[in-house]
Amino acid sequence: MDAPFYKFGLFGDNASLLVAFVIGLGFGFFLERGGFGSGNKLARQFYFRDMAVLKVMFTAIVTAMLGVFWLSRVGFMDLSQVYLVPTHLGPQVLGGLVLGLGFVVGGYCPGTSIVAAATGRVDAMVYMAGMFAGMVMVGFAMPAMDGFLSSGDYGQVTLAKQWNVSYGVLVTLVVFMAVAAFLASEWAEVKTGSRELTSQPLLGMKGLTRSRGLMLAFIGVGVVAATAGSPYRGHDVRVNEKELGQMVSRQADHVTVDDLAGRLIAGTNVPRLIDLREPGEFGRYHLPGAENVPMATLASAQWRADESVLLYSGSDAHAEQAWLMLKARRLPQVYTVEGGLDAWNDRVLFPRLTENPAPGEVDAQKRKVAVSKHFGGTPRGGAAPGEVKDAAMSLPPPPPAEVPAGGDAAPKKKAKKEGC
Amino acid sequence: MSDETHAPKPYMNPYFAGFGLGLVLLTAFVTMGRGLGGSSAFASAAGALVTTVAPDYSATNSYWASFLGTNPFKEWLVFQVLGVFVGGLVSGLLANRTKLVVEHGPRFTRVKRLALAFVGGSIMAVGAKLASGCTSGQALTGGSLLNLGSWAFMMAMFGGAYGAAWFLRKQWI
Repeated sequence: MDAPFYKFGLFGDNASLLVAFVIGLGFGFFLERGGFGSGNKLARQFYFRDMAVLKVMFTAIVTAMLGVFWLSRVGFMDLSQVYLVPTHLGPQVLGGLVLGLGFVVGGYCPGTSIVAAATGRVDAMVYMAGMFAGMVMVGFAMPAMDGFLSSGDYGQVTLAKQWNVSYGVLVTLVVFMAVAAFLASEWAEVKTGSRELTSQPLLGMKGLTRSRGLMLAFIGVGVVAATAGSPYRGHDVRVNEKELGQMVSRQADHVTVDDLAGRLIAGTNVPRLIDLREPGEFGRYHLPGAENVPMATLASAQWRADESVLLYSGSDAHAEQAWLMLKARRLPQVYTVEGGLDAWNDRVLFPRLTENPAPGEVDAQKRKVAVSKHFGGTPRGGAAPGEVKDAAMSLPPPPPAEVPAGGDAAPKKKAKKEGC
Repeated sequence: MSDETHAPKPYMNPYFAGFGLGLVLLTAFVTMGRGLGGSSAFASAAGALVTTVAPDYSATNSYWASFLGTNPFKEWLVFQVLGVFVGGLVSGLLANRTKLVVEHGPRFTRVKRLALAFVGGSIMAVGAKLASGCTSGQALTGGSLLNLGSWAFMMAMFGGAYGAAWFLRKQWI
């Protein structure tokens, strides 16, 4: 079994909504347990009187960070498949400042306002209404802010990658930083004379309290992380022979050129198209929207487990070898174009038409001509209007590398919605 | 209520509440390959309203247009937020903490508090859109993934909040 389960196809979209609800239940439960259903308690964080926000937040961060690190390190989870919100430094820093202001003015952040409203806080209900109104207002300004929102683009990047330090060392540092922040918080609470005595503090009690035990566990697991190396998977390849054999025999591993042409025209269900040939050949002609990933660089290319990838080369051989390579990396949705570019030329760009088509074939013939012209080709033979008999098979100029509407816009939108 | 058994129970030890929250977040990573969210459901609701009331205008605005032709409520984060509501309610009921009340500091009136709650919520929407996330989606989720932008966001958020706190002290303390 490979995690993340959803990305490896263990369950589908409808089941994921149920998972969302259950995860939300846990989220809401622990937010309320921690006291985040009370605006007064939340706001006292910013007067150093009750540091619960910081304590709960950083304990959660450390817990999930250690869990992600170790589950990935032992190979259970593929960390590269966990979605990272792309970094836009300027907008995120400004957004953070504005959010901080909104937190103190409104008394809640979005998640906590829901919990507070659920437990009867009228101010939280009004806050939610304000947030809804704000979302409507800001929506009208979004297109005007496009330039700013896409500025400072660092892509999907971790601190470890940005600073070129080991992920494990950073994990250790974050653990120590969090524990130091907890101690400082408790010290501040004592200074402002408003520490909550009902919770088990780290300071001011004797012996190994549960809180201290938890911190020691964090430090222990965190320190070992520094020496554990990278949590990312190497290209370990494992092949499930039975599954692959069944796929091949069901012919579920490829897409015909006619099917592909239909999808490209409609702009729907267009997979990520990968051209495996050398850059020179790619430059002369490639399928609309295709990316060039020559065979030699395939091993180092990045793939998302939840995207479907369609491979092609000149004929079949390279695409089939590449298919096996990606399948061995356990990508669930990899396909090849049956017959490769040869078949594309033969059946889509330069289809052979019959001289006197049978009455039932006329429509199919017309369609072939239209499809061929759509992709800049020329039908051969037959009596279709405007055709040139056995025209020289000169390839149309290469289409732009990106499909402007269908291919590009759809995944971009999806990526955006994976955020908060 | 004076009855001893109906008094609100004390909050959980914050470190253990955080530990539980962290395990929930980890479950989201393991099952879905994504983290938690809070603000996005509000954006979905706003999208549903605007595209329903003014579908023609929506097509001319690239932001609203992204909601057209989709069901904004059949979103992962919308279902997650419904769960948050129910989960919070269950926890509140179990601890006798559900109460219809307006929370504000002793020196502040209820009306002023409600006005600021509304304004604060609107400010939050702007911030969440600028930062493409909020405390849940950026700070918690991105924080535990060591996401560069999320840490920058988190520092800025605490900075903004502490910077503004002094001016708003009458509301809270």
